[in-house]
Amino acid sequence: MTPSLEARSLSLVRDGNVVLNQVSFTAAPGEVYALLGGNGAGKSTTLLTFLGFLQPSGGKVLVGGREVAADIEAARAQIAYLPEAASLYGHLDAYENLSYFLDLAGRKVTRAAIDAALDQVALPHAARTRRMQAFSKGMRQKTAIALALLRDTPILLLDEPTSGLDPVAIDEFHDMVKALAAAGRTVLMVTHDVYGACQVADRVGLLRGGRLVGSFEAAEGQRIDTETVHAAFAEREAA
Amino acid sequence: MNTVLLIAREEWRLWARSRVVLVAALIVAVLLAVTSAITAARVGDEAAKRTARQASAEATFFAQPDRHPHRMVHYGHYAFRSPPPLAAFDPGVDAVTGQSIFLEGHRQNTAMFADTRSGADLGGFAALNPANLYQLLLPLLLIIIGHGMVLRERESGTLAVMLAQGQSGLAIAGGKALALAGVAALFLLPVAGLAGFSVAAGEAPLAAAILVAGYALYLGVWVALVLAVSLLVRQRSVALGLLVFAWLLIALIVPRLAINAGSAAVDAPGKIESDLVMLAQQRALGDGHNAADPAFDALQKQVLEQYEAASIEELPINWRGVVAGYSEAKLTDLMNGYAEARMQKEAQQSRIVTLFGLVSPTLAVGASSRTLAGTDLATHHRFLRESEALRFDFVQGLNDLHAKALTYADDAARSADPEAEARTRVNADAWRLLETFRFVPDPATQRVARAGLPLALMLIWLAALGGVIAVGARRLRP
Repeated sequence: MTPSLEARSLSLVRDGNVVLNQVSFTAAPGEVYALLGGNGAGKSTTLLTFLGFLQPSGGKVLVGGREVAADIEAARAQIAYLPEAASLYGHLDAYENLSYFLDLAGRKVTRAAIDAALDQVALPHAARTRRMQAFSKGMRQKTAIALALLRDTPILLLDEPTSGLDPVAIDEFHDMVKALAAAGRTVLMVTHDVYGACQVADRVGLLRGGRLVGSFEAAEGQRIDTETVHAAFAEREAA
Repeated sequence: MNTVLLIAREEWRLWARSRVVLVAALIVAVLLAVTSAITAARVGDEAAKRTARQASAEATFFAQPDRHPHRMVHYGHYAFRSPPPLAAFDPGVDAVTGQSIFLEGHRQNTAMFADTRSGADLGGFAALNPANLYQLLLPLLLIIIGHGMVLRERESGTLAVMLAQGQSGLAIAGGKALALAGVAALFLLPVAGLAGFSVAAGEAPLAAAILVAGYALYLGVWVALVLAVSLLVRQRSVALGLLVFAWLLIALIVPRLAINAGSAAVDAPGKIESDLVMLAQQRALGDGHNAADPAFDALQKQVLEQYEAASIEELPINWRGVVAGYSEAKLTDLMNGYAEARMQKEAQQSRIVTLFGLVSPTLAVGASSRTLAGTDLATHHRFLRESEALRFDFVQGLNDLHAKALTYADDAARSADPEAEARTRVNADAWRLLETFRFVPDPATQRVARAGLPLALMLIWLAALGGVIAVGARRLRP
């Protein structure tokens, strides 16, 4: 089966610094792949190459089996992207934001569908008609997650998706990601939250200094062992 | 909905909800409306006054009593340059070139300014007009509103979200360009309104339409410049600084440099300077008031031969009138030579300034605006030529009367003999030889043709900036 996402010997050099070095991994349909690493490990950079925002210095990134550089717009059309800082317009309310960005994506959705997505991320009804400049970080994050859900794409790229969410919302989010994967979506999630990654991912890749230094996979019907990954993460970081 | 329109609409919604943008736009709109109304009223009043004064001057000339024709030569007449309808938008050179000329024999007077009835205008505020505001203030408004169009998205992270929705950089740049062009179009309404009023007042629709199109082009250049900087620069503060610096250069510094360059490249003597140079040549032509001046010996010989007369007393025409006409023709040739040389040099200077439009679109739009409004230097030069032709015609008409309606004997004796003096008075009906003078701008097609160069310069700007935007948009990344 063609992987939905593939990094093949991906390297990236910026301003003379090696940001990514021979990174290779794949994520198949129905799979949640978590890229784990400390600050500056190259997690978000890897994610941005799949969107064509950064050009690889070496190797390739493929979306749906096609190299991203060959048709960036086609690659983006298959991806719902949740940036690290939930970036939506402060002068618009949640409905206006979602309608606008979905219009940009060429998706027509009803108000009821938007409400359903906002219900799914548990954004309070009273907040939905307030301008987002008055939103907390968590509320902005929930709205951005709703946008990613409403895009209804086969691939989701999530950059620190639980940042700003309270523990209950994090658990609900993890359940939601698992449900999306169960429905056949491919999820690539970058995070430094070891526990969260192990809760939700089928596979975890450990990035350090731009190199993929470890890979962990859940046994059939089980979750990835948090302690093992944490130990590897801490060991590598200490190294 | 088309995504370009969608992005533009979102930008308009942001601006509509932004107090800073609304206040800035409101200030400019009020200033524009007030200045347009005041300038239109002022120019309309000026046009009416000058037309009335022209008619009054003609009536006064016609109402002169029976008298010696040469006294009428020195009594003189006035020519007024009435402002054309589009001067209500762009008064052009009107404020600096003079608007009326006293026409008399043996002289080409300098154009002068109408009397100021009130000292209230003398502070310089009357110089503010709609054209100035469009040329100087509107670009600043576009900079304030638009400098962060793309940078705001980049800095807040929404650019990544937009691109991630599958939008290309070109679509985003197109939407932003359309949004700012929409603001520019909104602010074109006052000039379009004034152009409409000018058409109602008799202006050619073609000239009015091209004038509005010229300002649309000019604001389009600024829209493109603002967008290009917003696309290519990484920080809003840097973009704002760069654009304000560009405005200073384009709207204020380069025009000043262009004027200096034009003056330095072509040395055009002023009227007083060339009049002083001309004096020596003028003396050599002889004194037209003195028929015995040796400068007219050759003429006398030729006229005597022509009429087969032995002396000037035997001539069937008045020798004094012949000398006056001959002298005026020679003197006018001399004065016209200097005037034409001076006007050509001024035109060369003006052309150099217009060519600086390649560096400053403000200069280009100023040149096209004045030309199309009929308030440019070329139009003023035509006024000088036409008023000079009027002067020459009526002076020579009077000299012809002097030669044909009066006898030499009466003319020579009129100082000592009251009866001879009475016979040298010509019936006042003869003053009707003065032609009525109504100055009108060149036909619209001529003005449009003259405005072609500055309009083309703005098109070059727009094409170049369009290329820069296309490259920047293709490379647009969060």
